[in-house]
Amino acid sequence: MSYISVEHLKYRYPNTERLALNDLNFEIEKGEFIGIAGENGSGRSTLCQAFIGLVPGFFKGAYGGRVLIDGTEAGKTPVSRMCRKVGLVFQNPFNQLSGAKETVFEEIAFGLQNFGVPREEMTERVNEVLGLLDIEACRDQNPFDLSGGQMQRVALAGILAMKPDVIVLDEPTSQLDPAGSEEVFAAVDRMTEAGITIIMVEQKLEKLAEYCDRILLLHEGRQIAFDTPERIFSRPDLEDYGVKPPICTRLCRALGVKRADGCYPASHEEVRKLKTQFPEESLFQKKCVPDGKTKGQEACGGEVFQIGHLNFRYQEGTPVLRDVTLSLDSRSTAIVGQNGAGKTTLVKLLKGLLKPVGGSIWYGGEDMAGKTVAMLAGEVGYVFQNPDDQIFKYHVLDEVMFGPLNIGMKKEEAERHAREALKEVGLENLAAENPYDLELSERKLVAIASVLAMDTRVLILDEPTIAQDWKGRQIIGGIIQRLEKQGRTVVAILHDMDFVSEYFRRVIVMARGQVLADGTREAVFSRKEVLEKARIEEPSLMKLCKMLGYEKAYFQLKEGEEV
Amino acid sequence: MKSMSLYVDLDTWLTRMHPFTKLCYIATAIAASLIGGKLWVFGVFIGISLGMLVSGKIIKKVFPLIAFSFTILITIFLIHGLFNHENVTLLFAAGPLRFYREGMLYALRISCNVLNMLLAFAVFVLTTRPAELVEDLEQIGFSPKIGYVISSVFQIVPQMSGTMNTILDAQRSRGMETEGSLLTRAKSFLPLISPVVMSSLTNTRERAIALEIRGFEAGEKKTYLRDSSMKTVDRALCVCMVVLLAAAVAVRVML
Repeated sequence: MSYISVEHLKYRYPNTERLALNDLNFEIEKGEFIGIAGENGSGRSTLCQAFIGLVPGFFKGAYGGRVLIDGTEAGKTPVSRMCRKVGLVFQNPFNQLSGAKETVFEEIAFGLQNFGVPREEMTERVNEVLGLLDIEACRDQNPFDLSGGQMQRVALAGILAMKPDVIVLDEPTSQLDPAGSEEVFAAVDRMTEAGITIIMVEQKLEKLAEYCDRILLLHEGRQIAFDTPERIFSRPDLEDYGVKPPICTRLCRALGVKRADGCYPASHEEVRKLKTQFPEESLFQKKCVPDGKTKGQEACGGEVFQIGHLNFRYQEGTPVLRDVTLSLDSRSTAIVGQNGAGKTTLVKLLKGLLKPVGGSIWYGGEDMAGKTVAMLAGEVGYVFQNPDDQIFKYHVLDEVMFGPLNIGMKKEEAERHAREALKEVGLENLAAENPYDLELSERKLVAIASVLAMDTRVLILDEPTIAQDWKGRQIIGGIIQRLEKQGRTVVAILHDMDFVSEYFRRVIVMARGQVLADGTREAVFSRKEVLEKARIEEPSLMKLCKMLGYEKAYFQLKEGEEV
Repeated sequence: MKSMSLYVDLDTWLTRMHPFTKLCYIATAIAASLIGGKLWVFGVFIGISLGMLVSGKIIKKVFPLIAFSFTILITIFLIHGLFNHENVTLLFAAGPLRFYREGMLYALRISCNVLNMLLAFAVFVLTTRPAELVEDLEQIGFSPKIGYVISSVFQIVPQMSGTMNTILDAQRSRGMETEGSLLTRAKSFLPLISPVVMSSLTNTRERAIALEIRGFEAGEKKTYLRDSSMKTVDRALCVCMVVLLAAAVAVRVML
């Protein structure tokens, strides 16, 4: 019998009608790396909770079938016993912290204390995971003072240190910089060699394809398929389930490059093996590259923000921004760089939420020092990184109307704007819901809508693609394109380089409080030393084409091409 | 994050001393001087506490406490010096105000008592990390659940004030005026309360799950990162203090 077996698993949350999990059947062997793919709301997080018994133990509701892990039935075993076998890492790291420990070191040791691990071993294990996840530097910091990405590493470390036999990860890298998420994948992958079974929900399908042995595809609580990445991503009906195949598969499909078994390759490694089957660059261009000239580098629409010799620090002696000089215009601009580089701090300064320690910021020809945040609210919109920080009303519609009403719109006008904004993010049906009841991805879209409704000249987005599936990304991408066409300025902080290269004309790379590079995507992504220093990666397509020996940089494939 | 505790993070012999020894000192300082009953005993303990605070490099932190307590002590002197019902012997007069010896002595005794307690507690509070105390208590059999509640308060209250600032930021980002006159700021405070409470409640449920999956209820005997057993010096000091207390009792009973 298999190590983990799921038999006819059905589950419905209390007070709902739809089955969140609908008759799942699959088996997992010890030491396998399993990915779970599907659009938001397909039941991925619920399944994660079923592995450790939180469903049904904690959430109650109707439960049928069973989940057997190494002979233990998860549905009937208390979570306090299951947690010895199964470790679960949440989507939102903030909620995973114990809330009782003052330093990162103690926070990671929390679970070990509860298991009664002897002191020497405890210290040893904590040190080990600190090294593994590269967070030694913040071992004595308060976990709540960390940036989102660092907190995510601490949450992960807290579970890894407990050494469970099965580790279930719910989007563990959503807030990490590209190099950081690669490190996490590699670290987790190494664990499978020691016989640890990994089950991971992830939006980064490129990574799933590269690391997973098998992928479980879910849609509306149903199991669509459970198979190798190549087979899953070669399915012609994949997009019906809200999943966009990784770039390797899309490219191979467009060019008709298949493996011997009839599947399209899904990872770089597989593509490399078939390198000889790929056409010359000119043919590739003709077949796959969308027409139309890429827009130029030139500034347009006049300067919006003028930043001069900007300095900022939260605490004496630890500068966060160092002598930043920039000007922003109406080109859509992405700010990228490692966790803790000062990106969020920079946009908070632009919004006026923080005041510069040195230097100046001018908006539209006026010094911002003399204005309050509220005075500029109708001009500059800002969407927070964590939607929970931003949402404070009990109905989605009220939430979205809050801003428009404050900047002086009449009630009817505000409601019209709010409904339009909700429609644009695809949530018009949820206007009467309580935002606290929505999924993280939906809350993020509510937060975006609540700023869109204010119809500001500048829109600042802090990691807009967190927790978004393919559909959500397309919605957000569409908004960025529309605003740019209307001459608005969009500034976004992002860790998703594919998204950056698809939608942004200007890329600013930051590291350690300074601007490392600034230019078009072509210019920035071709500078290897900059990418390395800022811990970012080339966009997937660019990397792939380079590997195939194509000379130019490509960022987009023609849509809907089948051979 | 701002800390809610008064602990001053220094590495001195006082911060290294076991919390129980310091607790023992508080008990001794208060009990011995009350039992001893003589004013000079108070003086001795106040002197010892001050000496510890100086050598622990935290005397500066105590000044505001002393200054604050003086405002109260002065009123005590005024009230008792002027109006105590046992007042007979005139001590001195300042214009129409006549201060009496009995009342002033009584007030002096109260003041010494307050100052003694204040300083003894200051020695403890300023040099002990709350988390450390909780851990030490847990290790001698205190319930870990109550321990968690205590130490989480020290984390969650500052975190709630952080949440409040974030929500304030979110509100002013969307055009609510929160800066400026006192009235504007007061008006912006009310709409804050319900979201802060709401988000804390939501967090509570999530945190309960987090504790559960990290084995808080595993039922195992917990282990601790720090060795909390008392050092020889700590033990010796505690024994000395117990002897001192016993002596004070003996002296009081026999004389």
